[in-house]
Amino acid sequence: MLSSWPTERAKPLLGTVVRVRARGLDMATTHQALDAAFQEIAAIHALMSFHEDGSDVSRLNREAWQSPVTVDPRTYEVLVHACALSAMTEGTFDVSVAPQLVARGHLPKPHGAPEPDRSAIWRDIQFLPDMQIKFAKPLWLDLGGIAKGYAVDRAMDVLKAYAPTQACVNAGGDLRVTGDGRERVRLGSDSFPSQDFPIVDIHEGSLASSCGSVSGRRYERSGLHIDARSGNTALPVQFVSVAAPRCMDADALTKVVMARGACAAKVLARFGAQAVVHDAQFGWREVKGHA
Amino acid sequence: MDARFLLLAGATAVIASPACATVYMSVQQAQAMMFPGAKFTDVSRALTDDEVSKIENMSDANVLNKRINAWKVSTGGWFIVDEVVGKHEFIPFALALDSNGAVKDIEILEYREAYGGDIRKPEWRAQFTGKKNGATLKDGDDIQNISGATLSSKHITDGVRRLLATYAVVLAY
Repeated sequence: MLSSWPTERAKPLLGTVVRVRARGLDMATTHQALDAAFQEIAAIHALMSFHEDGSDVSRLNREAWQSPVTVDPRTYEVLVHACALSAMTEGTFDVSVAPQLVARGHLPKPHGAPEPDRSAIWRDIQFLPDMQIKFAKPLWLDLGGIAKGYAVDRAMDVLKAYAPTQACVNAGGDLRVTGDGRERVRLGSDSFPSQDFPIVDIHEGSLASSCGSVSGRRYERSGLHIDARSGNTALPVQFVSVAAPRCMDADALTKVVMARGACAAKVLARFGAQAVVHDAQFGWREVKGHA
Repeated sequence: MDARFLLLAGATAVIASPACATVYMSVQQAQAMMFPGAKFTDVSRALTDDEVSKIENMSDANVLNKRINAWKVSTGGWFIVDEVVGKHEFIPFALALDSNGAVKDIEILEYREAYGGDIRKPEWRAQFTGKKNGATLKDGDDIQNISGATLSSKHITDGVRRLLATYAVVLAY
């Protein structure tokens, strides 16, 4: 038997290190809560991975251009949400930009999927009854960041059912906190001056960060953000953190702020979100949502 | 939701833990968690040069530590402890294999997140503290999270692949 049970554990999932913490529970309940949270994250990883042939995303990329594909309700929910954000941002956010990520070597070519139609965009994702999805044209989806945020949200829902006094789910910097006190999070990146020590204190909410910079090596580590309207990589802002009630929104909105800078304020407002951005020209700025 | 941004600069106090270092569990705790109630027989030993080259060929990964730390589990399966090199630090982890040698579970035993080599130097840390928007970073303040460019878990996945090759070469005879 264990003399004590860790209140936080970490596992490699979602392509990063996921840490889950729950406080204020007895040993056995903590164990159950952390296990259940990790199981939910692993399930979402299996459903929404671009890399795994058996995932909903891979099946969609292979088959949905020919006939409707039935997906898990969670995959459906993320896709509905992603397309709503695409509509809201006139396509700045678009989960069908995977071909550009593949062309630039940031994602592997999906096995068995037809070549995507170059004109395909998020509007070509059709939502049918009974959790079925159809593509109007061959296209390649990548739910990477938004699925990671969604996994964090779902894991937090699982933890909350155990009523911890405090809990945190952190998927490689996409994180959500609940309960007593504030979580102090350092913003970390090679893209801003090393003497800066930026902090976000967060309570009952989520934080996600993205980094886009001109160095190819940094892209590899931090992901590439493409403005789906122009096909250009997002460069004007080099580092973005978004705080939002839900982690799925926080992650997705980093891409919107990356592409639009302060012009994203209206979209942020709709999600109750706020952002902090850093670029070489202006340094640190806060972008608060306003209608 | 409530979120406050603070940009700290200036210097009077010391930030105690700017790098996030967390020890999650001991090897014994990981054993008890991954194989509850089982007994463990230590079969750890040095790898021969021949085994190392076979493992490297099979996994396409370098074997840095020419030793396997493994336990045979009384209830079936294997428990292996190893470490991989992260961005700046070693990351020790435990791998549980079922009796067929398939991955049953992975637990990270200890994890440090740090950005930039300077962060661990006391003199670098000592220059920061600060105050903005009424908040202060005090000695002992515990910063447990970093949000930034997403850290990849590729080194861990590569490590697991290497250990599966090690299992095939050394344990699954």
